[in-house]
Amino acid sequence: MNAYKVVARNRIVYWRVWRTSFFLTVLAPVMFLSAMGLGLGSLVEGDRAFGGLDYRTFFATGMLAATCMQTGVFEATYPIMAKIVWQRNYEAMLASPLSVRDIFLGEMLWVGVTLAQLAIPFFAVMAAFGIVDSPMALMAIPAVLLVGMSCATVVAAMTASLQTDEAFTWLFRLVVTPLFLLSGTFFPIEELPEWGRLVAQLTPLFHGVELVRQFMVGSPSLTTIWHIGYLVALFGIGTVLGIRAFEKRLRP
Amino acid sequence: MTTSDALISARSLTKRFDPFVAVDGIDFEVRRGEAFGFLGPNGAGKTSTMRMIACISPPSGGELRVIGMDPVTQASEVKARIGVVPQMDNLDIELTVRENLEMYARYFDVPREVAGPRIDDLLDFVQLTERSSSKVEPLSGGMKRRLTIARSLINDPDLILLDEPTTGLDPQARHLVWDRLYRLKQRGVTLVITTHYMDEAEQLCDRLVVMDKAKIVTEGSPRDLINRYSTREVLEVRIDDEVREKLIAAMQGSVDKVESLPDRVLLYTENGDATLASIHEQGFETVSALVRRATLEDVFLTITGRSLVE
Repeated sequence: MNAYKVVARNRIVYWRVWRTSFFLTVLAPVMFLSAMGLGLGSLVEGDRAFGGLDYRTFFATGMLAATCMQTGVFEATYPIMAKIVWQRNYEAMLASPLSVRDIFLGEMLWVGVTLAQLAIPFFAVMAAFGIVDSPMALMAIPAVLLVGMSCATVVAAMTASLQTDEAFTWLFRLVVTPLFLLSGTFFPIEELPEWGRLVAQLTPLFHGVELVRQFMVGSPSLTTIWHIGYLVALFGIGTVLGIRAFEKRLRP
Repeated sequence: MTTSDALISARSLTKRFDPFVAVDGIDFEVRRGEAFGFLGPNGAGKTSTMRMIACISPPSGGELRVIGMDPVTQASEVKARIGVVPQMDNLDIELTVRENLEMYARYFDVPREVAGPRIDDLLDFVQLTERSSSKVEPLSGGMKRRLTIARSLINDPDLILLDEPTTGLDPQARHLVWDRLYRLKQRGVTLVITTHYMDEAEQLCDRLVVMDKAKIVTEGSPRDLINRYSTREVLEVRIDDEVREKLIAAMQGSVDKVESLPDRVLLYTENGDATLASIHEQGFETVSALVRRATLEDVFLTITGRSLVE
């Protein structure tokens, strides 16, 4: 297993710019939680509508999962396209004993590291806002890593089969943004029409958001296993597809 | 040659990208310690062959052994012992010169205490010690090439694959690269080079094969091939158009071959000066005349033709 070497390479590159990106990852949740949670939250009444959560908690948990999905997807688009086509890093790596599998798994592991760098400060900000009140809530961190990484595997598979980056614009506009808004992130999916609810339940983000909320309020149930199962299966399928697509692209 | 000497051996090696055949059942052997060349026009199948040897591209048919191993099932083991200089540089532009080598050392599991001094030596070898903390982007084409060569040596390989190592470099940079490759050869490293520069093949290769249209057309040392396909010397004559045809007709029988190009006439002969003298004796006035030794280029053009192959 040489996948960790790919992570090591990305870490060296990231280390140069970590100050800016760390600042941004902390600043973003502070702004969102202040503006939306405190501002908008104070206008929203009736805890019942949000599954027994106050709106601030409802919003923060949705935001955490949605941001991780978005970041996971992003990390699997342009950065991977660059290493396949523009900078050809993978070609260079493949001339060494690294295999396609090492490269794919290494990149996904790196997505996990990136997500942790985002989720942990976000979680800390939530705690500072007084949203976290059970140790079980810490499980929300691995949960959102799973959301982001499972989406990343599928998108990386797609990226490896693209010739140009045009499709990314459509991916973000037609897939990521609707998922971001409609997976029970900012309002419960019960507010959607019947068909909308069904579609939402098929999306990875819905499962991610539900999972995070269950851990945050310390009330996992049988459905927790179903949500985890869904995301693990997606990660597995995405990995198989991804390695196959990388193989086809990088070792023609 | 016995097979045990062979560092690479290929039998009916084939690569298909359906419906196109890139490499069509070629046979060759590369011996330990030699510099072996693949010569041929663009699209002849040289790079596809190199990629199969480098374990990047799985063969579609035939047999291939590299350092006694199977490049498909033992890819990592084979790759651990070879160095690759690809046609287009793929240095890591987000890392510095030195970091490029350090990172590669990690990919190859070179222990840290070995890698440090080895990187110093390699930077010195390719004359980049002063640029070691520079980013890759501002380096000149020649420097990038040298860094790529240094990178390919990080694992102290038995075999180095160089795909058009000097394409796009200026003459000074080319000579510096050739000099380094020559030194590697002196140290006993086996080199496999693809090129379409004949002077490069002549300078570096002990033995070469000429590829054309996915097949090997001929094989031998540069001298062998020149002897086989050309005369010792070539006389290049520039002459007025009115007498051009007359000259060609007059010389047809007395030299090995006459070739008429738009701007000059080439006469393949054992003794260029004698041929030129006989032209003048027959009363032809030449605008200019040049006697030169036959080169691989003459061989190459004889075999693959002068028309543009695309």
